[in-house]
Amino acid sequence: MAQVNRKQLLDCALCPNMCRCECPVVQAWGKEAVSPSGKSRLAHLLLEGRLSWSEEFLEALSACVGCRGCQTLCPFPELDLAEELLAARQEASQAGVCLHQVAPYLGNLKKFGSPYGQGRGLAPAGERGAAVLYFAGCTAAANNPQSVETALALLEKAGVSYQTLDEFCCGYPAEIWGDLELARQLAADNRERFAASGARTLVTGCPECRWTFTRRYGAWGIELPLEVVDSTTFFLGLIREGRLQPRPVQGIDTVTYHDPCLRARLEEDWERPRELLGLIPGLTLVEAASSKEKVRCCGGGQMAQLTFPALAETMARRRLAELPAVSAALTDCPFCRESLLVGGGTVMELTELLGRACIER
Amino acid sequence: MSSLPETTIQETNLSKQESSQLLQQLRTLLGDDNVSAAAVDRLAACRDYWPMGTLWFLEGKAPALPDLVVWPRSTEEVAAVLTLARKHGVPVTPYGEGSGALGGVIPLRGGIVLDMKRMNRVRHLDRENLLVTVECGLNGALYEEYLNRQGFTGGHVPQSIRCSTVGGWLACRAAGQFSTRYGKIEDIVASLKAVLPDGTIFQGRPVPRSSTGPRLDHLFLGSEGTLGVITEAVLRIWPLPEKQALLSYAFATLEAALEAIRRVIHSGARPAVVRLYDYVETSHHFPETKEAEGRCMLVLISEGHSDIVAAEAKIIDAYAREHGAVACGPEPVKHWLERRFNVSLASTLFRQGAVVDTIEVSANWSNAASLYHAMQEALLKVEGTALASGHWSHVYPDGAALYFTLCGFPPGDKADYYKQLWEAAMTSCLALEGAISHHHGIGLHRGLWMDQEHGPGLEVLKRIKKALDPDGIMNPGKMGLEEALRWRK
Repeated sequence: MAQVNRKQLLDCALCPNMCRCECPVVQAWGKEAVSPSGKSRLAHLLLEGRLSWSEEFLEALSACVGCRGCQTLCPFPELDLAEELLAARQEASQAGVCLHQVAPYLGNLKKFGSPYGQGRGLAPAGERGAAVLYFAGCTAAANNPQSVETALALLEKAGVSYQTLDEFCCGYPAEIWGDLELARQLAADNRERFAASGARTLVTGCPECRWTFTRRYGAWGIELPLEVVDSTTFFLGLIREGRLQPRPVQGIDTVTYHDPCLRARLEEDWERPRELLGLIPGLTLVEAASSKEKVRCCGGGQMAQLTFPALAETMARRRLAELPAVSAALTDCPFCRESLLVGGGTVMELTELLGRACIER
Repeated sequence: MSSLPETTIQETNLSKQESSQLLQQLRTLLGDDNVSAAAVDRLAACRDYWPMGTLWFLEGKAPALPDLVVWPRSTEEVAAVLTLARKHGVPVTPYGEGSGALGGVIPLRGGIVLDMKRMNRVRHLDRENLLVTVECGLNGALYEEYLNRQGFTGGHVPQSIRCSTVGGWLACRAAGQFSTRYGKIEDIVASLKAVLPDGTIFQGRPVPRSSTGPRLDHLFLGSEGTLGVITEAVLRIWPLPEKQALLSYAFATLEAALEAIRRVIHSGARPAVVRLYDYVETSHHFPETKEAEGRCMLVLISEGHSDIVAAEAKIIDAYAREHGAVACGPEPVKHWLERRFNVSLASTLFRQGAVVDTIEVSANWSNAASLYHAMQEALLKVEGTALASGHWSHVYPDGAALYFTLCGFPPGDKADYYKQLWEAAMTSCLALEGAISHHHGIGLHRGLWMDQEHGPGLEVLKRIKKALDPDGIMNPGKMGLEEALRWRK
């Protein structure tokens, strides 16, 4: 089990919440308990045994989207509050406390390998043994299968030999919901399946899956037998090689790009999506009021749409208010796309736009 | 129900039956999502950044717990809550973002904590008159960010800007780092809306000035939730400055520096930032500035129209050199700008067992230097005090604010040490006719010296309190308006 760094947590708890302006959760919800230091104080008292675990305490500690907005202002260089809260949630799980809203999703995960339930994952396709394995992730597969079909069509168009598997969850939801044992089990299963596939490169359009594969599996003692690449980088390479040739997209001239928190803050990559957009003719990119490393979470982080739907919607509306008026808002995260759809505007993943630029006439 | 920590200075709470009935009535008024009796919310609203609250937290204790937390979304909802609270004689404590340094939001007698954070909208931007109407639960940094995006500044940048609300600024009569040019919150506010304890809504008018009796809006500035709840304000704003000059000078003595500042201000110049550090703080904050070694650093920012900035810079430079200062250039100012919101050392020291605090007072020029020396001497005499360093800022034609940073490792009980430290500070300040607070306000703790600060004049405030809040429901036990029984002991 991951250990909470008590010293780091206490530093945060003793701070007057100097980062709270960049915590989209407390700014959207207004509850003191979910402010960054509010959560640290609560976690400290729980871990010190001054309070006993309960669902309401766990709920406050779970109200973090992992966006690291707090870290942009944090004076403690080693503190990663989102990480400490993940570890604290595992303590809650060990104490037998679980959020009622999480329980059905965890049940699905254990039973079907997807938080969304049976038959919602990706089906095997493509060429068995192909070097490229496309991994859609649970949310794109369940809620936006068109984007997955588009990604596969782009691979075909570029002449890439690929395969897909009967996908199991990467383990990310299990970890954020406190069940590290399940997360590790899923990771071990995935390792076996990826190894058996014979693929050398895994391409995924989901930042959370990518984060888990690249930053978590190693910490859990699981070494993947293939390279993990995000779909934007992969498609960008295909464009550069001339294997995909984008044309202007009818009806879309101005766009904005919403940076997924994990990509912008933890992978520090906000240039490649913009580079890809720059290679689609006829597009003008208009930046949001806060973007790149200063992006504010849209409510999609840590699957808040499932566990805190009202909060996620408020966060999405606050984020939408920061986006300029354009013909389409783009992102490259299935969770961000879902969040931003609450405004009723055109929201697409980069892959979907690229599909229209390369495949449709 | 989850467990809750032991409380240290709670005076009363509602009975379970009272609390439960009130919960139902409030839910009917505001909706289920805007009222909570949950332990997690009661615990979160139990304190601010008062050091005693921090010390009790480290012992696993809470100062006092409310019975209910309520999140109003409009002035009318605040009025409805206060009407109900008054009917039942239930205490109400307004809460912003909890950055206060004196225990002002601790719900000593339980009841309702009115968390204002869901009233966070900018309602109107008036570009012609340079006014903005905002709800009071809006976070300060987000308020300033909004204005900056529109090409303006609010001119109010307290160190707490990232963790305080507009309402908190008004309620504690705050001052920002750029206040010498833009003014304090009382200069910045054009009018405000407040709910009286009986539910009556007061609405001031945002006129430039009036001669229509006492300025009633100002009655609520610094009232810290004891007279009502400020819900909305019209604030003055400024175009973003076209030019900024960053200046710094090292002086051989504090006295020479204070005199130079006095002359600058008397010349009519109004640099936005004026900060003079004593020897200890100079060596702590500016170790890389060799010219400042063994000297006192003065940092200034002049901003606005380029002609005005050029003239101010010239005036400042002339007076600084006349008083023997060495010019240190823009680097120390840049260093201050980068570091000014970093309070991480306090966390580390608290964790290591120290008591850390800040005390800000104000004095006329004639007393400025002697007040500094007298307070520092008194503070260092308290056994356990390791540091009592100071700086001046917020400059006026008639004086300035003096801000002490304190750190001690008490040999005995920390609360006793804390009280001794403050007794030393307040007594020495009053002896030299300083004001016991410049901008942090009174809250719970500084109420102990309010009678000495105001003398018989405190009776005026008590009568106003009695007239507006005859049942004493608003933030009881604060501002020295009545005895905070358990803390006084």
